[in-house]
Amino acid sequence: MLKKGVLLALMLATVLLIGVFSAAAAPKQIVFWAMPNAPDATHIPWVESVAKEFEAKTGYAVRFEVVGWDTAWTRITTAIATGEGADVFQVGTTWNPQFAATGGLSVIDINEFGGSKAFMKANLDSTTYKGKYYGIPWFAETRCLFVNVDMFREAGAKYPTTHDELITAGQKIAAKYGTGKGISLAGTNAWDLIHNWAIILWGNGGSLLTNDNKKAAFNSDAGVTAMKWYVSLLEKGIADKACAEYNQPQADAAFINGNVAMCYMGPWNIANIEQENPSLNYTIVEPPRGPKAKASFSGGSNLVLLNSSKNKEIGKEWIKFLLEKKRMVEYTQNLTHMLPATVNAYGDPYYASGVWKTFKSTLDYATAYSPLGVWGDIENAIVLEFKNILTTYVNGSYKSDTAKKALDAAADKVNSALTKEK
Amino acid sequence: MNPSGMQRTVVAIKKYARDWRWNRIAYLLILPALIGTAIVHILPMISSILISFRDLDIFSLQQWTKAPFIGLRNFIDGFNPVTTIGQRYWRSVLNVLIYGAVTIPVGYVIGLGVALLLNKKFVGRTLVRGIVLLPYILPDSVTYNVWRFMFQSRIGIVNKTLLALGLIQEPLVWLVGKYSMIAVIVASIWKGWPFGCLLLLAGLQTIPQEVIEAATIDGAGPWQRFRYVIFPYLKPVTKTLLLLNVIWNFNAFNQFFIMLGSDPGIQTDVPSVLIHRETFQNFHFGLGSAMSLILVILMMIVAAVYLRTLRVNKSMEE
Repeated sequence: MLKKGVLLALMLATVLLIGVFSAAAAPKQIVFWAMPNAPDATHIPWVESVAKEFEAKTGYAVRFEVVGWDTAWTRITTAIATGEGADVFQVGTTWNPQFAATGGLSVIDINEFGGSKAFMKANLDSTTYKGKYYGIPWFAETRCLFVNVDMFREAGAKYPTTHDELITAGQKIAAKYGTGKGISLAGTNAWDLIHNWAIILWGNGGSLLTNDNKKAAFNSDAGVTAMKWYVSLLEKGIADKACAEYNQPQADAAFINGNVAMCYMGPWNIANIEQENPSLNYTIVEPPRGPKAKASFSGGSNLVLLNSSKNKEIGKEWIKFLLEKKRMVEYTQNLTHMLPATVNAYGDPYYASGVWKTFKSTLDYATAYSPLGVWGDIENAIVLEFKNILTTYVNGSYKSDTAKKALDAAADKVNSALTKEK
Repeated sequence: MNPSGMQRTVVAIKKYARDWRWNRIAYLLILPALIGTAIVHILPMISSILISFRDLDIFSLQQWTKAPFIGLRNFIDGFNPVTTIGQRYWRSVLNVLIYGAVTIPVGYVIGLGVALLLNKKFVGRTLVRGIVLLPYILPDSVTYNVWRFMFQSRIGIVNKTLLALGLIQEPLVWLVGKYSMIAVIVASIWKGWPFGCLLLLAGLQTIPQEVIEAATIDGAGPWQRFRYVIFPYLKPVTKTLLLLNVIWNFNAFNQFFIMLGSDPGIQTDVPSVLIHRETFQNFHFGLGSAMSLILVILMMIVAAVYLRTLRVNKSMEE
């Protein structure tokens, strides 16, 4: 019996010693999550090489992990709920206030990062919640219209500058190349379906919410017109009926593969075109103007710190390291093809040339969503009804009042959600 | 206590002590599994029950114990057929019942047919048995992603084949709207029937050959042998298979989520996807927990009815 006891005690002591030594030998490191902002083949080596520079400078290693957009929401939610996962991570601009509302993100003193004037305004606004900063803008993006030069030339169409001209050009393309070849659209599987519709809504003079963010405003005449215009692209055969089942990457791929002549896309797709179909003859124009205004969606990504992280100070140093002009320009120019969200990098002459000029001028008037904790509920309510509209169309039961009824239903849910905004 | 009562108590204590000494190694060996089950299953279930009575959302995520107590509100909202979410829940239950009503019998019939064929002796039987299992052993993520590609409207092989055969005039949109349930059912049957086949084949191999031979000598044809000899022997396997399939189908998630996404629309929403969406995408943890709880209770009722039926059948046989 004594022997057994001694044996057990020895085993326990060994386990404890291994634990103590492992903890002592554990490298000083932070965990960094980012989305696939560029193809893995170039993205991962770049971040890892920057991490090595950072380690040489600070003695802290950075464990980098690419988290897909499709799983990022759940991963971040879990990290916030459990207080474990990553020390620093990327969030989309629309996500930042929602995660801030959970209390899971660290409050940021923007002066530690160069002050509010150091960042693009729309992106900085997206880091705020109830008057405090909860993130640091990393890069900006906006949506423009990508057009296939060869298809336009062959069809004798001109690049559209208005919603009506887009319809005319699309019909010419469809007449030349076949039904559905005019434009590819995101459909029911797109989590960011709302962004494309919002551009049309704003162009029609509408808005998503009232100015005080207390009520839904998208079910106005402008909203209904915008929705009908979107569906009309399918009805007129400019977009393929198959678009109803697309997610955004599928819609993008249809353009990148050269199957369709137009697509609303963001700057990150330039890297995809370079990799997937470098011979594609395309150009980028500003989003066609609506009857009332020029409009586009202002998005991008911010870097945030997990509130429960024990490495917040070193996490801040890592963010500052990434935001240095040299790295910002390198990351956006050579890898992601997004636009830098810091003013000094955005001023680099590179962004005033070529297609960047188009993105830059579009970003000047692009609109960002309101920074609300319940934004997820708002977006989900609109997207749900948007999907219902597309499903109704596919089922052959779409009528003239379908859009209005669906938007009214979404507005009810949004108004209910807005009452929860504390 | 009288002396005889005390004696009985002492004897009982001694018996327990003897049993404990005899079984303590067994208890110790079971202990890690019990602790594991408590941590992985029991505690989350208890916390889920507690959450279902609270308004746990994005604002109270980090301090769930302090989320406002709202009694049965989540249950009322989640199951009231007048509210949008209530409508979605009951429709999702109907959808999953329709899904199960097709996939379970069709999968069973295919599985049984193939099991009967594989029970015969032929060259290469072992190889064919292995190949037959392929759909079942493939990961769900691979299988349903491949089916998703096959059902794509513009480039999918399903539409291309149907068009080539002249069965449709223009490509159908399979993954949205009224045809989406058909797409998931086809993929699920393809993935699921080999499991039934495996169990039924094992069942077929337990049937004594003499019984079949005796039936043949007595003049029973192939159908009669199947109807009166083989099928009764397969009843226990069939019942087990049925229960497992009912539970798995009610919890169906991967096939719907992978093929149709997190929000497939009212025509193809199923409870597991709806609960996942409400809980982890919309941050309505209380509502999600309430809906999960009801799903568990429904499953427990199904299992209890099944087990009771088994007991009744057994006692009748005895």
